Amino acid sequence: MVSDSINASIPSVPKDFGKKKRANRSAKLKQCKLDARREQWLSQGAVKSKGCREELMGPRGLPQQIHEEGRKDPLENLQMRRLGRRVGEDENENGSIHHDFDSDSPSNSPTGSSVLGGNDSGTNFTASISGSSTSGSSVGCCSGCITEEDEEGDDNCLDDWEAMADALAANDDDNKLENHNDDNNPCLELQSSLEHESIVQLDGNLGSYHENLTEDRSVPPRVTPGNSRAWRPDDALRPQSLPNLSKQHSFPNTDRHYGQGVLAWGCVSGVNVPSACPICTEDLDFTDASFRPCSCGFQVCLFCHKKMLELDGRCPNCRELYKNDPVEVEASVLGGSLTLKLARSCSMRS
Amino acid sequence: MNNKGGVSMAGGGGGGSSGTATTSSWVSPTSVSTSGKRIQREMAELNMDPPPDCSAGPKGDNLYHWISTIIGPQGTPYQGGIFFLDLMFPSDYPFEPPKVVFKTRIYHCNVDSTGNLSLDILKDSWSPALTITKVLLAIRSIFTHPDLYNPLIPSIAYLYSADRAKHDELAAEWTLRFAK
Repeated sequence: MVSDSINASIPSVPKDFGKKKRANRSAKLKQCKLDARREQWLSQGAVKSKGCREELMGPRGLPQQIHEEGRKDPLENLQMRRLGRRVGEDENENGSIHHDFDSDSPSNSPTGSSVLGGNDSGTNFTASISGSSTSGSSVGCCSGCITEEDEEGDDNCLDDWEAMADALAANDDDNKLENHNDDNNPCLELQSSLEHESIVQLDGNLGSYHENLTEDRSVPPRVTPGNSRAWRPDDALRPQSLPNLSKQHSFPNTDRHYGQGVLAWGCVSGVNVPSACPICTEDLDFTDASFRPCSCGFQVCLFCHKKMLELDGRCPNCRELYKNDPVEVEASVLGGSLTLKLARSCSMRS
Repeated sequence: MNNKGGVSMAGGGGGGSSGTATTSSWVSPTSVSTSGKRIQREMAELNMDPPPDCSAGPKGDNLYHWISTIIGPQGTPYQGGIFFLDLMFPSDYPFEPPKVVFKTRIYHCNVDSTGNLSLDILKDSWSPALTITKVLLAIRSIFTHPDLYNPLIPSIAYLYSADRAKHDELAAEWTLRFAK
């Protein structure tokens, strides 16, 4: 596609050649496009190296393939892949493995940024994405990883994620514009590429802003219509890149794996309403929070539960005898339950 | 562990010495700190939202030994009286009930001459989910509704059911004599 766009743009030069009036504008335009393409090439160079790395890491043809598709039609494919990934992970419950990546990612992200940072102002931000995803791919070991790494392979590819995808999208626009308007109104191209530059910045700001407000998951997705951005500020991929997310929440990305992420998060916080054990007043960890020893819903921590089993084995709330098989929240709640289960397995694992 | 704690409790209750619970040395430290944290939270809750006519707090610097006052509710022969109670928390407190003793003499079928109290939630019906606030409310409720079926002093229970006016007169007299 890059070569396509170049081919498409080069013939446009001779067309403009005779028209003195437009020469200046087209020169500026060319400069802009060249800049964009240089970014694009840089990022694609990284893409290729990363892609090779991916290939070395494990027998996965898929990332590369998807990546090829991604080059052809970046925006749509990114959107589709994201959707597909969510659906796939909903079905496969593979998200649990991914928690490990996220817990790993903060420590690795600095190296990622040091290696990859410095394409432009927006790059430093996205470099941490690639850092985290690199760690993810290096951890990669099982089927769950593959779906994730497909995505992360793309992240790897797009180490300058927003810049490249936006550049590609902008180039698509440019191509269209070139096809239709090149002789007529080259300024449009200039506008679009400038606009696209500013959008990149805007994306970075919005993304980080959203990152800081990760608890406000209920904020509806902010979609700017008609904007050719690679991802939206509320895009699920975006928060993954920042280390503070996984430090603030032990299972920070529950909503990332699911289409109903916001809902899942709400469920989780609803489950956690008693934040401390009513008996010993110790904070409930996530295992305790999902532990419902009695059908009346009275929550106690595991230590107190054990203690009460030793004493009389009755629920402190309803005085019913504790049954042998505790009713765990996983069995009873939908959406957030699965999340909890995954979080628990993750915490056990790590 | 419980026996040991209980013995030291009783001794501490009589002597009023501090550190009764914490000095039972072979109680696991986690248990002590757990009960301590729980008691502290209950103290905060009690200060935030005290039940009517009730107050309670640590007697000295010992978190496990509280003193409480209950003011006789209006409409009962105990009205106007201030009744002091000792609350002794066992070292494994939330799992064992606190020991409550009336320090003020009261003419009541559920309180004997030494101040011991017959209240089901302080014995068999104790639940770790109960708090001192609820215990105080339960004690306050037996001022208005004595538990005639589990009396410590059956004669008073009998008098209450047979001659309520006589009972109330005696109770008011005791209140005036001991609680004011």
